[in-house]
Amino acid sequence: MKETSTSKLLVALLVGISLLTAIVATAAARRPQDQQKPATAAAPAAAQNGPAPLKKQRRPAPPENEEAARGQTQYTASCAFCHGADGTGARGPDLLRSPVVAHDVKGNMIGDVVHNGRPDKGMPALPLTDAQIADIAAYLHWRIAEGLSSSEVPNGYPAEKLLTGNAQAGKAFFEGEGGCTKCHSATGDLANVSGKYSAIDLEAQMLYPEGNFKTAKITTKSGEVVEGKLNHLDEFTVSVTDANGWFHAFARNEVKVEVTDKLAAHRALLDKLTQTQMHDLYAYVHTLETEGQHQ
Amino acid sequence: MSVLRDQSMNRSHSFANVLRAASVLLLLLAMRAPSLAAQGLDPSALLQKQATDTWPTYNGDYSGKRYSPLDQINAGNVNQLTLAWIYRTRGQAIKASSLEVNGILYFTVPDNVYAIDARFGLPIWHFERKVTGDHIGHRGVAMLKDKLYFETSDAHLLCLNAKDGKLLWDVQLADAKLGYFATMAPLVIGNHIIAGVSGDSTDIRGILTSVDPDTGAVQWHWYTEPDPGQPGSETWPDTDALLHGGGMTWMTGTYDPELNLLYWGTGNPNPVLVGDRRLGDNLYTCSIVALNPDTGKLQWAFQPSPHDLHDWDAVQTPILFDADYKGKKRKLLAQASRNGFYFLLDRTTGEHLATSEFIDQTWANGVDKKGRPIAKPEATPTADGALVEPGSDGATNWMAPSFDPQTGLFYVMARRIISVFYRTVEGQVEGWGGRDRNLYMDSTLRALDYKTGKVVWNHELGEGEDTAGILTTAGHLLFVADHLNNLLALDPATGSTLWHLNVGDHVVAGPTTYQLAGRQYLLVPVGDTMYAFSLPEKTEAKK
Repeated sequence: MKETSTSKLLVALLVGISLLTAIVATAAARRPQDQQKPATAAAPAAAQNGPAPLKKQRRPAPPENEEAARGQTQYTASCAFCHGADGTGARGPDLLRSPVVAHDVKGNMIGDVVHNGRPDKGMPALPLTDAQIADIAAYLHWRIAEGLSSSEVPNGYPAEKLLTGNAQAGKAFFEGEGGCTKCHSATGDLANVSGKYSAIDLEAQMLYPEGNFKTAKITTKSGEVVEGKLNHLDEFTVSVTDANGWFHAFARNEVKVEVTDKLAAHRALLDKLTQTQMHDLYAYVHTLETEGQHQ
Repeated sequence: MSVLRDQSMNRSHSFANVLRAASVLLLLLAMRAPSLAAQGLDPSALLQKQATDTWPTYNGDYSGKRYSPLDQINAGNVNQLTLAWIYRTRGQAIKASSLEVNGILYFTVPDNVYAIDARFGLPIWHFERKVTGDHIGHRGVAMLKDKLYFETSDAHLLCLNAKDGKLLWDVQLADAKLGYFATMAPLVIGNHIIAGVSGDSTDIRGILTSVDPDTGAVQWHWYTEPDPGQPGSETWPDTDALLHGGGMTWMTGTYDPELNLLYWGTGNPNPVLVGDRRLGDNLYTCSIVALNPDTGKLQWAFQPSPHDLHDWDAVQTPILFDADYKGKKRKLLAQASRNGFYFLLDRTTGEHLATSEFIDQTWANGVDKKGRPIAKPEATPTADGALVEPGSDGATNWMAPSFDPQTGLFYVMARRIISVFYRTVEGQVEGWGGRDRNLYMDSTLRALDYKTGKVVWNHELGEGEDTAGILTTAGHLLFVADHLNNLLALDPATGSTLWHLNVGDHVVAGPTTYQLAGRQYLLVPVGDTMYAFSLPEKTEAKK
């Protein structure tokens, strides 16, 4: 349940405020030194109560934050064997859902567990320095923040993920069943359309372009006609901006209103389009770019 | 207008019984003057068989109908409706339903509680406590005797003195560091304050808590996910998934005093858009549950969205009414759910009676033998996007529905939202793991036949996501707002417009009503401002 994307961002910021400050605060500018180091601790005995190892786990892409990046290396060496390559748990529990990690600031709570171990649950004490533990904490907080921000589709969402369709089939749909050529031309208005938008925006624009594409013809009882861009239309009131840029408003019961919606065909298509047709069409529209101009 | 009802009538059980026996007409003729004595809320006022001329709970009464027996403002004179007063908070948009008790309104925005005079719009007190946590919106307070109960963005429950807004006590409902927060108005049942929590950005377990009204001491917890090994736990693949399965208790429930059953809608499972780690139905997320309010024990459950993958929680008000079903008078429960389906249940047993689409949807194909929609595999969020209607914001959402016993119609704010759902995270997902992108949105008010859920009439409300709630009254009126800033009074039998006003902003809460000193008020929050409407004073002067 969510009302706005800003508020979701807020929760990420507020809930994890201590986590985020921990991440952004420090980051000394030095190269990770310990990438080639072997694991600093022997593999501990399997925890009894953790979930079974999960198939899809893999090491996530490295964080940009240096402290977290060092932490990832350290984590991979010391913790991943039990807690999973990505921190979501294997023989040991999921650390990203851990209350200890949620309350931790710069390793102050994680440190106790690492130094003392959890002998009752099969976790040994690990000989890590406070600096190493702080790095691991930064990494885990970075991973949690990543999860919190996973409720947005990033604008840089990669085109490869969207390009699962067949461009040839998409072209056939564009020129045939889709009826797209009634209004559009691949070499006219849509030439280089792919270069104008990010990959994810291109898909949304293709399906239902953003903006006001409605015009209205308003005829008064005395027969006067005003035409223009439709600004407002409800049960009671209509307003347009005419070709000269002047605003006009009328009570609906005073006039006849004829609305033209240039997006009507897009709206109708949204009710008919199959997933395959959408992906094929996208694969085709994505090819509509002038060489070298694609972002 | 000779019958003077003041709060002493509320104070006496025998008087309450007399009131129950009295005709609705008597109630409607009642003229309530603000009391000069104690101003608290007597518990018996919550047990009225139907809503009266006050608004003592989030939904006005336990049934969740949002139907008022007041009819001074009616279809014949609504075109004379005029402003009585305006109160500006100069704060966040008001999404709350204000209580009205003994001439005082109590309403909220996150971090803030306001008490203002209900006749004149004068400020009485303002409580503010700034905390961290999600400030998405706030639905209001609960009241018992001289105490108010307020949930906070850091998932605490505060008790305030209703007289002056002073803090009496503060208890934590859940750990905000784990991602919990709270927005809802608690529900008072007997000596229980029942409080839900919110938060689905992290994978946490839904909780409903009952506390002691005087001390805040916990009486019981009910968890959306059953304990490991308990019935329902078999709908989760493992204990880790179960204990992090989401299912927040976002919205105020309803209550049947005769059955002593509490009805609550639960939120979506977590991770939100990706179900790999939680294969199974995921009980009791996206469910309507019936609980014993004294023990928190589950009586029955019905699940509108098994194994939800689209953020379609089932927290929409489960409305209670007694009406004919196939020739027999039944105790019914109806919900128009966020997934686009209307459900009718027998609220004594949880027996499923009807399932019906109330708006366009593309995610389900047919209904299983339990009455639950069957999801199409192609509606599952994917890396390359799945085109689905409705979008995650839902065919409806938190905005209040209404049931009008005069028309026998169930009213819902319905939206056509067409979205592409992207799974953006590969591997082990935590939190959301993706999001949908809205392409097209418009809104319509729909009147449903309660027996079948079939659409009886439809009133288009414009493009965009309308979030206005609904109020119906014995004055043969339905109040709602369109998405173009018009407050509307409609004929609840036909949907035709009887009155409107451009109020200058979206209405993001439900209109409510009450009567004081012989005058009925329509209360409508618009943006950060509370507007009270009534008939012109001269109408009253005729008496």
